[in-house]
Amino acid sequence: MDTSPAVEIEHVSKSFGAKVVLNDVSLRVDRGSIMVMLGPSGTGKSVLLRCLVGLLKPDQGKVKVFGEDVAALDESRRADREALFRVRRRFGMLFQDGALFDDMNVAENVAFPMRLHTRLSEEEMHARVTDKLARVGLPGTEEKFPSELSGGMRKRVAFARAIALEPDIVLCDEPSSGLDPVMSATLDELILEMHRTLGLTFIVISHDTAEARKIADTIGMLANGRLVTYGPAKQVFEENHPALNQFFTRATQGPIKVV
Amino acid sequence: MRGFSAFVFRAVRAQYTSIPPREVFVPQFVDAGYGSLMLLTILTFFAGLNLAVQSFGPFSRIGAQDMLGMFAGIGGVRELFPVMAAVVGGARIGANVAASLANMKISEQIEALEVMGVDPIRYLVVPRIWAVTLALPLLCGYCNVIGLASAYGGAVYQLGNDPGTFVHQVMEQVSAFDLAAGMIKGAFMGWGVGLISCFHGYSIQKRDGAEGVGIATNLAIVNGAVFCIVTNLLMSWIMYG
Repeated sequence: MDTSPAVEIEHVSKSFGAKVVLNDVSLRVDRGSIMVMLGPSGTGKSVLLRCLVGLLKPDQGKVKVFGEDVAALDESRRADREALFRVRRRFGMLFQDGALFDDMNVAENVAFPMRLHTRLSEEEMHARVTDKLARVGLPGTEEKFPSELSGGMRKRVAFARAIALEPDIVLCDEPSSGLDPVMSATLDELILEMHRTLGLTFIVISHDTAEARKIADTIGMLANGRLVTYGPAKQVFEENHPALNQFFTRATQGPIKVV
Repeated sequence: MRGFSAFVFRAVRAQYTSIPPREVFVPQFVDAGYGSLMLLTILTFFAGLNLAVQSFGPFSRIGAQDMLGMFAGIGGVRELFPVMAAVVGGARIGANVAASLANMKISEQIEALEVMGVDPIRYLVVPRIWAVTLALPLLCGYCNVIGLASAYGGAVYQLGNDPGTFVHQVMEQVSAFDLAAGMIKGAFMGWGVGLISCFHGYSIQKRDGAEGVGIATNLAIVNGAVFCIVTNLLMSWIMYG
């Protein structure tokens, strides 16, 4: 069994102008695990996710995905761009607002990655789309357009699209944001089920503490640009770092400063 | 300017090294071409009619009222109709292109494509540039036909010109080169409008929000129109100067 990490981030820093968003962040995510990165809004969680898929380039440090340093790839060079796209194809990503294609219906949205990267026949693709939509609890919605769906349904369709190719790593950018607690719990169950049945690696960005408790194998917390705590969920909860404690107890005073 | 140069370099290289995906190109081409027909038909119909009516007075004062065919031929086919097609059609198409790309940008649809391993320049930008580059010359040719027909209608049925004389003058003044020149100009202007509108739509950031979409659309229209007018002048100078 391959025990090398799925993702390895080494001393990554990223600034926008004078604002330091990530400051010397290092971590590793094991294959087949669920890692939840917690942190208040605006602390660089989404930036970290975008660095992973090469949508943003860190100012320094290494971002290794299955051993390939994504940060070293220069998108303006053709060979590097192709290498980057090869790495990206190993990811599925659930965006904060779904990012469904407006001009495609649900079935076309879910089938899109299959159409791009596989040679499946229309029948096989249709069967897979039906299966994925059933898994996310949305059978029979194939013909609907994103504008006809509620926020929760859009997220679930986006989730079905993210897992359509059964990628090695699924990135979830705040899956519970904007959803009611029941819908959030449903999405958490979906993540756990996909993890159980398909063995996918999940990297979840969240500020939902209940979600972290429910699904995480590994927990990290970003505060003020630094990774203040990181490790197996049980150990992190036992250590109870002051920033994590402030986050879980919803205290206004503590190491996390409201900007 | 550096951002624009880098975008143009990447887009043009992609344009000539990849085949645009049919499922994106065809709807864009249909929207650019067929979608502009009604607007341009109305515009060039009245422009052609006006060309005949407005020139009739000055021409008749010097006893040259039978020269309307020549004027519509030279002024309309060489300049007015193709430029109208490019500026007005280009504004409509450019606004659509910029707004659609900008919307995709702020709703993270472009990032979603990138994460799926798709180069958005090849998948979204290239088919749009080709669609405008191919649609605009056809629209220029179409506007020439509508404009000349309406000028003929105005000159013959409203102002009493002899139909044979009008047609003879048009045939004498308008060569195949003139018609081709209008379409060549259209292709250049379409290419420029495609690049400019794609650049403005593609360059906004998620944080720019709905206001950014408006600004991108506005810039695409204004800069596209300026590009068309300047390009027309330069190409007329090269071809007729």
